[in-house]
Amino acid sequence: MRDLLAAYPPLVRSATQLAVTYRGRTILGVITGFFPLLTMAVWLTVVAEAGPPAGWTTGDFLSYYAAATLLWNLSGDQVVWQWDADMRSGDLSVRLLRPVHPFHQYATSNLGHRLVSLTMLVPVLVIAALLVPGLDYPTNPVRLAATALALALAYAVGLTMASTFALIGFWSTQTTNAWMLWWGLGSFTSGWVAPLALMPDWVRTAAAILPFRTTMGFPVELLMGRLDVRQTLFGFAVGLGWLAVFALLYRIIWRRGIRRYQAVAG
Amino acid sequence: MIEVRDLAKHFPVHRREPGLRAALRSLVRREYHTVRAVEQVSFTIPEGEVVGFLGPNGAGKTTTLKCLTGLLHPTAGTVRVLGHTPHRREPAFLRRISLVMGQRNALFWDLPAADAFEVNRAIYGLAEAPYRSALDELVALLELEPLLGKQVRVLSLGERMRCELAGALLHRPDVLFLDEPTLGLDVNGQAAVRTFLRDYNGRFGATILLTSHYMADVTALARRVLVIDHGTLRFDGDLAALVEAHSPHRLIRVTLREPAPAHTWTGFGELAAVDGAVVTLLVPRAETAAIAARLLTTLPVEDVAIEDPPVEDIIRAVFADA
Repeated sequence: MRDLLAAYPPLVRSATQLAVTYRGRTILGVITGFFPLLTMAVWLTVVAEAGPPAGWTTGDFLSYYAAATLLWNLSGDQVVWQWDADMRSGDLSVRLLRPVHPFHQYATSNLGHRLVSLTMLVPVLVIAALLVPGLDYPTNPVRLAATALALALAYAVGLTMASTFALIGFWSTQTTNAWMLWWGLGSFTSGWVAPLALMPDWVRTAAAILPFRTTMGFPVELLMGRLDVRQTLFGFAVGLGWLAVFALLYRIIWRRGIRRYQAVAG
Repeated sequence: MIEVRDLAKHFPVHRREPGLRAALRSLVRREYHTVRAVEQVSFTIPEGEVVGFLGPNGAGKTTTLKCLTGLLHPTAGTVRVLGHTPHRREPAFLRRISLVMGQRNALFWDLPAADAFEVNRAIYGLAEAPYRSALDELVALLELEPLLGKQVRVLSLGERMRCELAGALLHRPDVLFLDEPTLGLDVNGQAAVRTFLRDYNGRFGATILLTSHYMADVTALARRVLVIDHGTLRFDGDLAALVEAHSPHRLIRVTLREPAPAHTWTGFGELAAVDGAVVTLLVPRAETAAIAARLLTTLPVEDVAIEDPPVEDIIRAVFADA
């Protein structure tokens, strides 16, 4: 375990180096990092033309999607694409020969890329929060600390969920398609399509116990001050529960899947 | 060190006829057949030995190597390497082996070689002093100094292979698996890699199992060879014994003062090649010395040389016999 922890910083550092190797890719990565603002623009138009839906004002949408942008950049789903490419090219064999489990190799790779995105994104968001009228978050230190924990939990759940899904690659070449289907369905209960407060009751009920809200809606709602203590604790409990479930599923599926690995392409 | 008992590896492979109709039919009904890539293979390699692994394409060499390095789970049989069961992929095992694949890049493609080596240092948990010592030595031996600042992806094939070797050896593996390490290299590049590997084996006593289609790799490095074909081990022993067992003939190359007519050679052996005054005769192995003596006494010979047929021809004969 000590060896593993010691390997994390240099592996993340190398992934960061890789993430900034190509200027064009880096710039495109930063631009696509602001993708949630497109959805925000749609909702702002709705507010302007039809009035605030369910009492959500322009300021609420601004605050929601600015925070959602942060969560969008904490996604772990890059792992699925990387895994799929490695499985097809045979590069997974190279990873399997290293004395660090591939999970950690993909995790550090993802972390390195995320750090690059966040380094450019966070200052922009902070400046926006200071300058844009209506973009406002409660500054209670306890709430901010809880939000930081929720962000870490969001990343951990997103990463383990994506990593578990990636293991489908041991059985099928359709990992990315399966993930897109899963992510697409999940986006209704994550808070990505719309804030969960605007969704029907049955969607909100389902979202409360499914894993997707942990990866977006929960930290955003927490940051916006829309959750009381009981709701906050419940949100953490659900997130931690899913983290445990995905970690367990990963172990089980890995053990079965690795036996099937054919080490193709050389 | 390496113990393989009754190793078998089978793969289920999806098969369909060519054409649109067959493609559509395969959406509904899939047909699989089992490829028996390796069957009943057993051998032992002691510490420090260099062994050549020979066989035609698809014979099962790489599959066996992948079982030995833990990439593949054997279908049957047992494999032990350094006291470990490879497919468990314990970090303690993976830190003591390396697999170099000539056609695969194991270094970080987009990083300069020096940074890629640093990543390997982190992955293998190497302390600064032994890492620096190993790196300095490898940089000197493989002449890597001018390459360290270049991205791996812009290196030539030979340069990349030298970097691959350095990356694979930074942690000083006790067992080195090499799958076509000189593939695509020019003659100088091949020679450099061979020299380096022989030196590495000599200095660190590393066990090396090597597959190559270049017989010169095998003859330069290994005294013992394993010959595999259709997944089955056909031969395990000294290269010299293999030559003796599968080549009942030797070659006598005779240089005369001037070209001689073909009938001159009647009674000496089969004419294998004629190049002016230089003639190559194929003769029964047991009669080689007597025929050579007769040539010297009956013809105006300037030079005579006795050699075994090329190992490639002998290996081909092994497979043909099988």
